[in-house]
Amino acid sequence: MVNLTIDDKKVTAPKNATIFDAAKSAGIKIPILCHDKKLHPFGGCRMCLVEVEQMKGRLIPACTTPVTEGMTVTTTTPEIIKARKMVLELLLLKHPIDCPVCDAAGDCDLQNLTYEYKVNINKFTDEKFHHQIDYENPLIERDMNRCIHCGKCARICDEIVSFGAYTFINRGIEAKMGTEYDGPLNCEFCGSCVSVCPVGALVSRPFKFKARWWSMTKTKTVCSYCGTGCQLTLGVKDNKVLTTIYDENQGFHNGQLCTRGRFAYQFINSDKRLTTPLIRKNGSLVEASWDEALSVVAEHLREAKAADPDSVAGLVTPRLTNEELFLFGKLFRETIGTENIDHSAGYAHNALTSGAMESLGYAASPSTIADIQKADLLLVVKTDAYETHPVLGFEINLGVKRKDIDLRIVSDKRGKLSKLPKAKTYVHKPGNEIVLLNALAKSIIDANLVDASASNLPGFDGYKQSLEQYAPGKVAEACGMGADEITSLATDYAKAGKALILLPLGLGYVAHGKELAQAVINLALLTGKIGKEGCGVLIMGEKNNSQGAVDMGVYPKAKRNDAATILDSCAAGKVKVLYVAGENPVVSYPNRTKVTAAIDKAEFLVVQDLFLTETAEKAHVVLPACSFAEKDGTFTSVGRVVQRVNKAIKPIGLSRTDLEILSSLIGTLGGATYTSASEVFAEIASKVSGYQGFSYEVLGENGQIVPVTTKAKFVQVEAAPLKEEAGKFAMVTGSALYHCGTLSRYGEGPMHVCPEGYVELSRQDAALLKISENDVVNIKSSLGEIKLKVKVDVRMPQGVVFAPYHFADSSVNTLTDGSKVNWVTISK
Amino acid sequence: MSNAPAEEQTTEIDLTAANQVIDKYLTLPGNLMPVLQGIQDEYGYVPKPTIDLVAERLNVYPSQIYGVLTFYAQFHLKPRGRFIIRVCVGTACHVQGAERIVDTFFDKLHIGHAETTPDLRFTFEKVACLGACGMAPLAMVNDDTFGKMTVQKVEEIIADFSQRPMK
Ligand code: SF4
Ligand code: SF4
Ligand code: SF4
Ligand code: FES
Ligand code: FES
Repeated sequence: MVNLTIDDKKVTAPKNATIFDAAKSAGIKIPILCHDKKLHPFGGCRMCLVEVEQMKGRLIPACTTPVTEGMTVTTTTPEIIKARKMVLELLLLKHPIDCPVCDAAGDCDLQNLTYEYKVNINKFTDEKFHHQIDYENPLIERDMNRCIHCGKCARICDEIVSFGAYTFINRGIEAKMGTEYDGPLNCEFCGSCVSVCPVGALVSRPFKFKARWWSMTKTKTVCSYCGTGCQLTLGVKDNKVLTTIYDENQGFHNGQLCTRGRFAYQFINSDKRLTTPLIRKNGSLVEASWDEALSVVAEHLREAKAADPDSVAGLVTPRLTNEELFLFGKLFRETIGTENIDHSAGYAHNALTSGAMESLGYAASPSTIADIQKADLLLVVKTDAYETHPVLGFEINLGVKRKDIDLRIVSDKRGKLSKLPKAKTYVHKPGNEIVLLNALAKSIIDANLVDASASNLPGFDGYKQSLEQYAPGKVAEACGMGADEITSLATDYAKAGKALILLPLGLGYVAHGKELAQAVINLALLTGKIGKEGCGVLIMGEKNNSQGAVDMGVYPKAKRNDAATILDSCAAGKVKVLYVAGENPVVSYPNRTKVTAAIDKAEFLVVQDLFLTETAEKAHVVLPACSFAEKDGTFTSVGRVVQRVNKAIKPIGLSRTDLEILSSLIGTLGGATYTSASEVFAEIASKVSGYQGFSYEVLGENGQIVPVTTKAKFVQVEAAPLKEEAGKFAMVTGSALYHCGTLSRYGEGPMHVCPEGYVELSRQDAALLKISENDVVNIKSSLGEIKLKVKVDVRMPQGVVFAPYHFADSSVNTLTDGSKVNWVTISK
Repeated sequence: MSNAPAEEQTTEIDLTAANQVIDKYLTLPGNLMPVLQGIQDEYGYVPKPTIDLVAERLNVYPSQIYGVLTFYAQFHLKPRGRFIIRVCVGTACHVQGAERIVDTFFDKLHIGHAETTPDLRFTFEKVACLGACGMAPLAMVNDDTFGKMTVQKVEEIIADFSQRPMK
């Protein structure tokens, strides 16, 4: 620690702090324009000038100057004020004064400082810039006439996002912040650059001319897309969510969001939202009152319960709050009396519910998000971690670039993470992850790198024996890798002091979730890497509340109750009443034909959703539900963090929260009703393991981590190398960067950037098939055939094609049946 | 410059030479500048597909390469003519009527400053003092210098260089 004096105040600051940091920690405000706490210091704008007694004779930039012992700093003198005024005057020479039509007005650092420093006359005059405004994309408008050359956009896009869209281009007076070839912006559209731009040079187009900053109410809540659990601030006016507001102090991610969090909130106020209950009469869905709709539903549930509780089944989305999922479980298990409940098609969570549960004794990750930056080595299974959880991708980027963390990736294709410095990607043949992970374990044993703690764990000997057949030499070819590659990866992992394995899950990655989780947990146990800081396994649930759904027990306790069996029972006429809350199986569960046929067989289908989804269209009763913005409650995200979700707007139309709907059904069927989310949460705290002692007050702003106690054991995971089908392509499915599940189809941002499904293939295959980018091809599997647009990318290995699963038209689940790999043919 | 997408490349670019340049410097630290210079030597300018190639192979953002290319005057982003005509518009040449010489070139070649004739024979550039003010107004074609320029001489130069071989 260093002692210094700032404005006569004694201040103590860490050695590596700058004057700006030290002042800030002492509550002394120094104005800044080009500085951002998340970015490397730049020192370009000179707004932060201060006087340092030991460096007399010139003014010193506070944002780049480190503190030293005994330093005496003065932050405001007439001279400093004059210098800062000069900085502003010079900027205002070029900056157009179009604040009345600028969307940043009220949130503009230049405007605020100009006001604060009372710059009302300018000594200088100069011509303004005449740059053309970039209106080419639907999300970010770039008006470089307003740019003050602070460089923040370029730095954030490089340092944190690792996309690198911007750079200063040209020289002298022509110099400006530009893109490749000075072309239109074409990037990930995470909006990070918009968040940090101190002026209105970068603005959000969906928010353009929607509201002035000061006229909105701001509600802090949690993103409802992926499992990362990013905190959001919603800007609301007239019961409409108009934007997400950047708050650099929010969450572990310092306000960073991905394109979904930033630009996909429009589903909330979408005019496609269901606003009234619907009942099927004479074949078509017609508007109905809540009383009527709920009594029809209650009636059917009651009758079915009386006949056979197991003729009722429920499928629910992990997008609901913990409180709602808890009531969903209660409605089915207690009120109706059936175990037929599941979510996410029954497999997107079995890495947790069966995998981690058996191996560790709880259905959760042993590690937390904070472990990412504390590791020495990250082993990412599937590069798709970036697509499924972009802001965790930022954490990986930061760790690798700032903390020099080693990055190893094993995946069936390359991805954005592969481009990071020090990243080594091991591309294996699709579907052979388990074989590869077992080979890594075998190689660790052979190299005597097993941790002393491992042999004491139950199952060690059996596990060790089971690995015999996975010697790298034996299986390397099946994995499509060299044996030496396998051993060197194994050595790197085992020898890393702290190593964390990241495993993304989701509806796009259907097969062997349980086995994958167990294989990676085995690896971590073998090398003594569980239960230590910066170590372990982070299983990344796909949806905002995937972990919560598991914690609330909304998953089948036996195979005969899982989603696949429920649908089979529907098809066989055993399940007669199917209750679907927020899921859209027709599009997102594998094997569309089979799923559709099963759902069509249900005698009574209730769908509770925000939209008239492909599944809801088939329902007998449709109940309009509220979005997360209309709810209070909690989500539990990756790494077991329970965070509060806060209501920002009143329900749209007649829609009701899932909590209200479920509670009234429970009531009608004879159970106890609930009036508020906190009441349910109190019950959760008393009944759900790990949630004891939690209340909304205890959760506070940043949530709480559910504690776990590990009872680890080795579980043998067997896998034979996948049989390849000659002459066919291995199709793998997954997430596209801009989407998450099927909900993001109602978000303006993702739909503009990625409006439809596609199939991605390698350059070599494209050349062989004489196919080029944007051609439409027929893809055929043993189950069906669809047409998709082609993307050609170097990241794909030859023989492997990738298709994202989010889209309803030409939906990929027409081709898939939940196998690790689907073999397809492709023709023009 | 505008935000319009870069001009469509009409002819396919053979990337073999660019790949060879990259191979040569691949392991050299700070290899971006020599690679770009090497590519410019091979192609006479830096074609867009080579930027993408360099970005991919050296793992540098394409935007940053473009930033470098537009920062240093030595790089060219468009094909250059076989013969680079430079006319000085420095003070001495200006006083001696350089603008008329410039205008005559524009007129005869139907191109403007920093432009190239469609047959890739001539590129025209106005430049600052070439350091031979005694011979003002001054013009250069590649390495040949032409002093005391007149409108008549402009026509002679164009006629002369229009006859010369392109290779
Ligand atoms: S939106 Fe994101 S990816 Fe695009 S330029 Fe801005 S920071 Fe970079
Ligand atoms: S666009 Fe905004 S963030 Fe980027 S340099 Fe200009 S003022 Fe700074
Ligand atoms: S989708 Fe996920 S990564 Fe993106 S902002 Fe929301 S929680 Fe964060
Ligand atoms: S904020 Fe310190 S120089 Fe810009
Ligand atoms: S001004 Fe033309 S050569 Fe000096």
